[in-house]
Amino acid sequence: MNRSPGPQGPGERTEAHDVNSSAATSPADPALTAAPPARGERIGLAMVLPGQIVSLLVLVIPLLVALYMSFTDWSPTRGSLFDAEFVGFENYSELLVWDTRFLFAVLRTLCISAVCLSLEFVFGLSLAVLFMRRFRGQPLLFSAFLTPMMILPVVVGYIFWMLFQSGGPVNQILAVILGPDVVLEWFRSAPLAVVAVIVTEVWHWTPLFFLILLSGLNAVPENPVRAAVILGANPRQVFWRVVMPGLKPVIIVAFVIRAMEIIKLFDEVFMLTRGGPGSATETVSLYIYKLAFNDFQLAYGAAAAFLVLLGALGLIHLLLTPVRNQLLEAR
Amino acid sequence: MPEKKLTPLLAVLLAAALVLVLFPVFWIVMTAIKPPTDWNASPAIWVPSAPTLINFKTLFDPDAIREYGVGGVSQAATKAVWGSLLASVTATALSVAIGLFSAIGISRYGTESTSTPLVILSGRMFPPAAIAVPFVIIFSNVGLTDSYVGLIAIYVAATLPFSTWMLKSFVDDLPREIEEAAMLDGKSRLAAHLTVTIPLIRGGLFATTLFIFILNWSEFMFALVLSYTNVSTIPVQLAKYVTATAGTLYGVQAALAVLAMVPLVAAGYLIQGHLARGMTFGAIKQ
Repeated sequence: MNRSPGPQGPGERTEAHDVNSSAATSPADPALTAAPPARGERIGLAMVLPGQIVSLLVLVIPLLVALYMSFTDWSPTRGSLFDAEFVGFENYSELLVWDTRFLFAVLRTLCISAVCLSLEFVFGLSLAVLFMRRFRGQPLLFSAFLTPMMILPVVVGYIFWMLFQSGGPVNQILAVILGPDVVLEWFRSAPLAVVAVIVTEVWHWTPLFFLILLSGLNAVPENPVRAAVILGANPRQVFWRVVMPGLKPVIIVAFVIRAMEIIKLFDEVFMLTRGGPGSATETVSLYIYKLAFNDFQLAYGAAAAFLVLLGALGLIHLLLTPVRNQLLEAR
Repeated sequence: MPEKKLTPLLAVLLAAALVLVLFPVFWIVMTAIKPPTDWNASPAIWVPSAPTLINFKTLFDPDAIREYGVGGVSQAATKAVWGSLLASVTATALSVAIGLFSAIGISRYGTESTSTPLVILSGRMFPPAAIAVPFVIIFSNVGLTDSYVGLIAIYVAATLPFSTWMLKSFVDDLPREIEEAAMLDGKSRLAAHLTVTIPLIRGGLFATTLFIFILNWSEFMFALVLSYTNVSTIPVQLAKYVTATAGTLYGVQAALAVLAMVPLVAAGYLIQGHLARGMTFGAIKQ
């Protein structure tokens, strides 16, 4: 325990110091209700300090090490990282120009993400609209529909791995519908494996869209809706012309949050297919994992990760621009 | 929106959706209570004729399953369960404690730069496989490889943005005047925060704690690459069982999966009103 509590120590000492000095002055402080005075800023700094130190130690420094590493040809068999040869942008150019496996992993991740997010959005919105109607047992059903997103990704992957076994329940149900001769080998065929991954991911995360969109629908102001109804709009027009525009910021927030997570898609695929058959379901995260921990090409993997980060930042920036104020609430 | 009733057609659709959502959960629970003879039956058995708890028992006593003539459970899951508890509980406590002070600092004194959200988002988007690589190197240099301290440090850093911003949204909901009144009564700023702000957001604090626990308990990747022999967590143990036996120990694996998900689903139901807030870094309040 010499790492985590460490950063906390100095921060708290600073606070204690501040308490003593401010206790003497604050009762007489006339500017208390005005803009935060200098002393307030100092205690504020002291309060955020522990968090900043933890982030610096455990997030920024490793990122910098990874950045340095991505410009070398280091691998664990070659001794210390600092003896490794500096190769400039060689890893990056190799990735961008020659590595088709990386290119396909990126494209595959983007395609799977696009399909998953669209399906999750459509299902989540439909479900949220249904929940705007009144029916019995609504609170209970609300909880039931949220269940998938509370389950660990690894467990979700394992559950669907069982469901998609050739003698498993999915094939049993398909046999009833399509006839007993149809036995699908879900994990031996590339397109079927991709379908299995998408089904798993959509099942797992549709509840998040449902949850966010439902809270958005509940927050749509009633007066414009009433006005539109009085002016003779039919329900369809009310939904598409009045409710949906008001819902736009919430929709974008939901997409950004999910996009951030799905580009890292790893746990479920690891349990379902390990990227197979071949590399049919190999996502970027899985490719980087294999590079680093199966092939020990750590420097190369780090370079790939920074390319992914750059691409993802650009993508999210585009999505985020219209709603920057809603997300993370700029002051 | 005008409140309407559910038409029969929509009710049927809703029921179908409910079946789709609950079937996988039903399946894992049923598998967890199947005796070994039912595990790999073809066609698959949906509801076991003789439900048993032997799979759960086997998790903590690998030889228990032998009475059914099945061998091959090499490892007990006991260490993984304790490891998960230790890592998740400690990391959650630290993350929420540090996040609480950051939240008050940011909300009340505005001590963060405008680029902070972008930094946080970048940290969340960086593929974890790649951030694990420098950790492997750094930890091997400072002797934290395969240790809970190292794992906990990563968990704290990874969940700190969530705890900070979720708690900040609860502090923001609280009018400043309440604390200022306490300060006018002669309390110092820190005392006012400790005795007024924190007790008033205890509901939010509770929700945040459970939410961070859910995140830590679910974590897989870092535990996978940073654990060798000393450290184990439930997700890693589940992956190990599946790998070591080509997934043939259905019942035992399912029992571990059920054991892993029960506390999370319970925690999730408890804080379902705050899940949206947690997931969106406080951007959406419900």
